[in-house]
This record gives sequence, structure tokens and C-alpha cells, in this order.
Amino acid sequence: MEKEFDSAPASEVTREELTAVMTALEPDQIISTKEHHHCPRRQLTRTEMIVFWGLRIYLVFMVGVVVYQIWTTVR
Amino acid sequence: MKEPKTASEPRGVAVPRTTVLNGSETPGNDVVITHEDIDRAHDREQVSAVRARRGFRPRLRLFWLLIGPGILVMLGENDGPSMLSYAATGARFGIGFFVPFFVLTFLMACVVQEMTVRLGAATHRGHAELIFDRFGPFWGWFSMVDLMVGNFLTLVAEFIAIRAGLGFFGVPPSVAVLGALLVLSVALMTHRYWTWERTILGAAMFNLVFVPVALMTHPDWGAVGRAMATWRPLPGGLTQETVLLLLANIGATVTPWMLFFQQSAITDKGLTTRDIRMGRVDTLLGAAFATVAAVATLLATAPLFTHHMSAANFEAGEFAQALQPFVGHWGAALFALGMFEAGMVAAITISTSSAYAFGEVARRPHSLNLPFKQGRSFYLVLLLEAAAAGALVLIPGIPLVYIVLLVNVIAVLAMPPALLFLYMLVNDREIMGELVSPLWANVLALGVVTVLIGAGLLFGVSVIAPNALALVGGR
Repeated sequence: MEKEFDSAPASEVTREELTAVMTALEPDQIISTKEHHHCPRRQLTRTEMIVFWGLRIYLVFMVGVVVYQIWTTVR
Repeated sequence: MKEPKTASEPRGVAVPRTTVLNGSETPGNDVVITHEDIDRAHDREQVSAVRARRGFRPRLRLFWLLIGPGILVMLGENDGPSMLSYAATGARFGIGFFVPFFVLTFLMACVVQEMTVRLGAATHRGHAELIFDRFGPFWGWFSMVDLMVGNFLTLVAEFIAIRAGLGFFGVPPSVAVLGALLVLSVALMTHRYWTWERTILGAAMFNLVFVPVALMTHPDWGAVGRAMATWRPLPGGLTQETVLLLLANIGATVTPWMLFFQQSAITDKGLTTRDIRMGRVDTLLGAAFATVAAVATLLATAPLFTHHMSAANFEAGEFAQALQPFVGHWGAALFALGMFEAGMVAAITISTSSAYAFGEVARRPHSLNLPFKQGRSFYLVLLLEAAAAGALVLIPGIPLVYIVLLVNVIAVLAMPPALLFLYMLVNDREIMGELVSPLWANVLALGVVTVLIGAGLLFGVSVIAPNALALVGGR
């Protein structure tokens, strides 16, 4: 479910401020627009999944190596 | 089209939450103007006004307005553990191999951070938000856990540097930690990204305090020139210790928090695709400053190597004391102050990167332009993470030296998965359009990933089978 808009509106907005926001910011820089429009999710290909999992396993293994090094050094 | 209600409102009148400025009246399409939008718009108005003018002075002013995230991220990464790694390297190996090595690692950092500049300017979204949106929560949470664990450990190391740096002046640890937390809180009180950025930039430039310390040691500039020109091999070959220092020095320049911080800061600052060129200059300039500070630290501690003084397990304060015969009391005091500054600036930038990422993922307001009441969760995450790390440093018996050494190593190990997300995002035509990475940028990025994985595997071999280092020319 789409989450409710969380950022609180400004308590007061003058005409100048409104003009500044609408002219100086690009449309997708306005917070409420960003909140309502998220980038769509992309589908990962089989190769991408393999690389993702490969690097995840690499990280877990290497953290194990670090823990082993701490253990041997402390011992 | 419906007339904006706010257009006729005088100052001081509250604007209803459902104010419609354009589009239909359905709640999903409402545009609500926030305090954050107004602050950012004012900053962007200045940029547009300066950009419209021609000449040298307006160009200089534009440069001043747009720099910030790149310098902050690069000098922020010259943090407590990084400066300690540089100092330990200088004391253990001198300058021969490592001066050009530092230049290379900062070039690697430039390659990586340039991608975040383009990504932030093109999408106006933070790194964590993009990972969650494009790859889903499963992979998003993995990257968040990597970031949060790494950031927390690094923050602990920053407070160790703060404690050790101020310890040189006789400041008790609890006072040092509380003082640092106070400085961090005061920096946030402006509730304005621009003011915060300028304040921290000013503090970050203090990182160059290592330059006068290096000059006080009267370095052999001929040797520095020869080191750059010939890049001598690693003294003593590859050993478990040298591999650890190599990894610590790589981790001193490229780490996951930098990706999250710079992209979020660019978004918060409001940079657009027109600002990418200046964003690159900002990043290069930051890398140049950081390289100078890193090489200066190496040169400052090189006399310990020349005089065969053991610096194993030194903390920041001990380095300062050991340097006193070579640089005098003032030089040693500057060195200790530099360590404090490195830890302080990094504590601020790293806790901010955590707060940005949390806000993006939890879909809570996340900007340094927010008043405390509206950005409560953002500021609380920032302050609580820093406070927890600071408190940990005060626990008696905690193995501080291990933490400092391993923080940079863990950063290197966590970098390849983080870089994969970045690489895929920056090559994603659906969100980047024409700003996807060109071939040369992809070749360089894949080169950095290969170096990082290679370094990680070398570390693994050095720990599990140290004798196998002989196969790659080590001992």
C-alpha cells in the first residue's frame, strides 16, 4: 500500500515563496511529488541475481575471516 | 486550472495540508509545499541568478554556491581511523611505496563518487531510497544493514580518535565524548542545509593541519619526487601485516557511507543535471585536499620509520607524543588537534549519512533544512547513533585498537556489494536517461571493483593461509 505523505507542510507560505518553489525547483524536487511518485521496481536478470548473491556470499565469508582474525589475535 | 489557494494568502496564515497548487484535487496528486521546499528553492534561486550572469566573478560565485558535498565527503573520509592508518603506514614503511598508492586510492574514490554526483543530480533521490525502489526491500535491507553496521563501527572509531586527540591535552575521555556530542548537536541547530554545510566545510578544511606538521619534520622532497616517479615496491614484500595496512589504507579512501552521504547531500542541496560539471569539480577538489592531508600525515610520521621507532598499536595521542622530538610541542599539539578534527568531522558526516538513509527507507522526512519538530526522526537517528558510539568508547576494557584497525578493513570488504548497486543504478536508463555511464566510466568502475575484491581476497589468504602469500611474491 502506498504510504501516507509524511513531510509536514510549511505553516505559512507567501506568494514569493510559492513562486520561488515553483520556478526554482524542478518538479521532481518538490517533496510531496517525490513522496507520491516512486521509481518503479526493476526485474533482475538471472545473471544479475547470481552476481548479487555471489557478492553477498563473498561479504559473509570475508566477515567470517575478520572474526577469525580477531579470535586468533585475542587468543 | 484551479487557482492556487496559497497565492492569495498573506504571510502568517497557515496553509491547509490539502492545498492544491496544480493538477487535480485528488489527494494523491496534491502538491504540498514544505518548509524544506522553500529553503531549497531559495538556495536554487541564488544559483539561477548567478548562472544568468557572465564573467569571472559570477563563475567564482557559482563555484562557491555549488561546492560542498564532494569536499565534505572526501575530507570526511580522512577520518580518525584513516589518519591513524596513514600515520601507522608512515611510521612502519616510510614514503617509498605509499605516496603514489594514496594518489591511486583517491583517484579510485573519484571514480566512485562521480557516479553518485550524476545519480543524485539526475534522480533527486537518495541512494538508499533508489536501492529500495529499484531492487526491492530484500536487497534494500541487505544494503541498509551493511551501511548501518559499518557506520556504527566507524563512528566508534571516530570517538576513539576524538578521545585520543583531546587526551593529548589532558581532557578526560568522558568530557571529550560529551563535548563532541555537543558540537554535533550545535551544528544541527541551524536547521538549514546551507549553513550546516558551510560550517562543516570550514571545520573539514582544518584537516590540512597535517601539512604544517609534515613541514616541521623537514621532509626529503627529492625522496617524495622519486617515490612518485618510480613507485618503489612494498618494503619487505607482502606479509600479513602489510596486507592489513594496504587494506586499511584502501578503506581509508573508499567506503560505503560515502556513496550514501554524497548522493543524499546532493539531493538535499538541490543540485540538478546542470550542476553535474561543478559537482565533479567539487569531488576532484575534495580528493585533492584529502590526498594532500593523507600524504602530509605519512610524511609527518615518516621520521619514526627513519629512526626505527616502533609504532605498533599506537593511538592518536601516542603518535603525537612520539613525534614531539621531531616537530616540537606545537607540532605534536597540531597533530593531536588534527586527529580530533578528523574524528569530529567524520562523526558528523557519517551519522548524517545514517540519518539520511534511515529517512529514505522509512519514508520519514529527511533533510537538514527541516525544523526539529518536522524532522524529529531524522535528527534523533543522527544523535542517538552518535551518542551510542560515544558511550561505547567510554566502556573500560573495550579493545579500541582492534576496532580502529578493523573498521577500514570491513569498509573495503563491504564496498563491492555497495558498488554493484551503484553501478547498476548509474547504468539504469529508466532513471538516468542520457546520463547513464559512458563506457570509460564503466571500465574504471569495474576496475575499482576488481581491485577491491582482489584486495579483500588477498586479506583472506593472509589470514587463513599466510604461507600462501609466497605465491604472490610475499613472505
